[in-house]
Amino acid sequence: MAVKDRERLLHFYEDMLRIRFFEEQVRDVLYPQRLFRGSSHLAIGQEAVAVGAVHALQAEDYVISTHRGHGHAIAKGLDLQRMFAEIMGRRTGYDRGKGGSMHLADASLNFIGENPVVGSNTPMAAGLALAAKLEGNGRVAAAFLGEGALNTGAFHEAANLAALWSLPVLFLCENNLYAISVPLDKSSALQDLERRAEAYGIPGRRVNGMRVMEVYDAVSSAAEATRERSFPSFLVFDTYRFEGHHTSDKQTYRTQEEALEEFRQRDPIHILEFEMIDDHTVPIPTTIEYRDRIRAEVDAAFEAALAEPWPAPEDALTGVYAEGGE
Amino acid sequence: MAEGKLRNITYAQAIRTALREELKRDERVLLFGEDVGYYGGVYGATVGLQKEFGEDRVRDTPISEMAIAGVAVGAALAGYRPVAEIMYVDFLAHASDAIVNNAAKWRYMSGEQFRLPVVFRSPGGGGAGYAAQHSQSLEAWFAHIPGLKVAAPGLPRDARGLLKAAIRDDNPVVFLEHKAHYTFKGEVPVAEEVIPLGVAEVKRSGKDATVVSWSKTLTHALEAAETLAGEGIDVEVIDPRTLQPLDMATILASVGRTGRLIVAHEAVEFAGFGAEIVTQVVERGLDLLKRPPVRVAAPFVPIPYSEPMERFVIPQPTDIVAGVKRCLG
Repeated sequence: MAVKDRERLLHFYEDMLRIRFFEEQVRDVLYPQRLFRGSSHLAIGQEAVAVGAVHALQAEDYVISTHRGHGHAIAKGLDLQRMFAEIMGRRTGYDRGKGGSMHLADASLNFIGENPVVGSNTPMAAGLALAAKLEGNGRVAAAFLGEGALNTGAFHEAANLAALWSLPVLFLCENNLYAISVPLDKSSALQDLERRAEAYGIPGRRVNGMRVMEVYDAVSSAAEATRERSFPSFLVFDTYRFEGHHTSDKQTYRTQEEALEEFRQRDPIHILEFEMIDDHTVPIPTTIEYRDRIRAEVDAAFEAALAEPWPAPEDALTGVYAEGGE
Repeated sequence: MAEGKLRNITYAQAIRTALREELKRDERVLLFGEDVGYYGGVYGATVGLQKEFGEDRVRDTPISEMAIAGVAVGAALAGYRPVAEIMYVDFLAHASDAIVNNAAKWRYMSGEQFRLPVVFRSPGGGGAGYAAQHSQSLEAWFAHIPGLKVAAPGLPRDARGLLKAAIRDDNPVVFLEHKAHYTFKGEVPVAEEVIPLGVAEVKRSGKDATVVSWSKTLTHALEAAETLAGEGIDVEVIDPRTLQPLDMATILASVGRTGRLIVAHEAVEFAGFGAEIVTQVVERGLDLLKRPPVRVAAPFVPIPYSEPMERFVIPQPTDIVAGVKRCLG
């Protein structure tokens, strides 16, 4: 393996661990200790999609995400401490404590934000892409969506318009098989999800979402095509969420055995580790070093965020409107 | 203020003038919606703009209100100043996710990381025989959403000046026009005029009662005031022009002079915007009132089709005359 490829792979590995450990911290520490409100939608199992896809994009490219967006945010480079701070409602969080787990955003990194209204981010992605096209700045707009969002009108309106106006949008669909409790075969008339944008002239591609390099390669070529042709691409990544829909989900709609078996067979981090060890990219001790280091980084970010200040109650009253204009 | 040269133009021409001026002034202003391009809008408010500014900036869209509004939000987040037209206020129901959940809240819920300079233009109102799904007045829906501004001009001059301010504003503005009012004529300055959002105007001075009204009903209120003047009743008519922000100071000052408040609007009375104005006057100026306030608004029914019924449901100048007299006791 070329040095460059090895470095890239290790970088992906690192970011996947970062997402996994961040989410585990939310699940194992924040949730039981009630350090956040509402619920949090964990991306454990979907790390390869977030990392492979976002790293195939340029820093200037827009990313607009979903309720299950911690992974996309981390891959786009958001700061773990400020993410934890936001999820724990602190003044120093990304949204000053006004957004929480479902509204993480970093304008400076072109992470436009999570949009937890399913499907609602896809027309926005088309708008971001329209701006990029008019500007001629070569950016693309990437919208993550779950397979559940393929059934929303918003997605179909956005897909048609993006194709009609020839907009540089990447529709990145994470098929984790469940829309909360409803399995794919009870939600989509067509099981060949990659064909669901065909009617708009957008060819789809199905990708193994558990293999980070396959995701990376697929998104790289789709992004290149979208950038060059200024035309949308549609990719469906087969993945799985090993956790519930959110932290309080009892998961009565599937068996523990199913989730465990999926985890044994398809955990994207195990898959990557085995591959790297098998082809001598890294020796086993190195993977352990990586795990320890990233775990410590996540712990430190959490501890630092825990010490951060709460907003004043009346901060709720500010920031509704922007001052001024043109 | 010294008046410059005026010209007598329609409400639709006033809208078009504002759009044209702002498209000319700022390349980041975009215009899109159903039939706004080649056709010039179903009410002619965008005639010729595609020809003048090109298909990149003035775009026809498919019948996709969710996408029209959502694309506008996305383009605004990327620094453009889109003006999205939703053909009927009733169809804002489709577009509401982008307007209410995204445009209104993106700034707040991101801790002020973004600006949302986007305008959603849409004609509401009845009187044209379009029945229940093409005639509603839904200003109260949108005035109720923190993060949105809401304009509802009644006169061509205000339509032009407020739309220019709305386009230049860094916040989402729901700009409500009135479909039965596009051919209504009024004086509009030839020179550029930007009318700030959130400033009411006394459209007619009077000492006996204050009538607050907006959109097309404002012109009914002015007509009613003329009728009442003939009977020796001197009515002050106030147009808030925008409902969010709402200029209560001007309304309270007027009620302080007259002691009587009548709010007239075309929307359904129950939970209509008139309730907000009446409540604020009662809370902040009960001692100013000589008589209980009166609302003149539509009964709690959808807009019916047949003309006698539609005229009965939508407040007419005669209803406002009766409302003022009721208030005077």
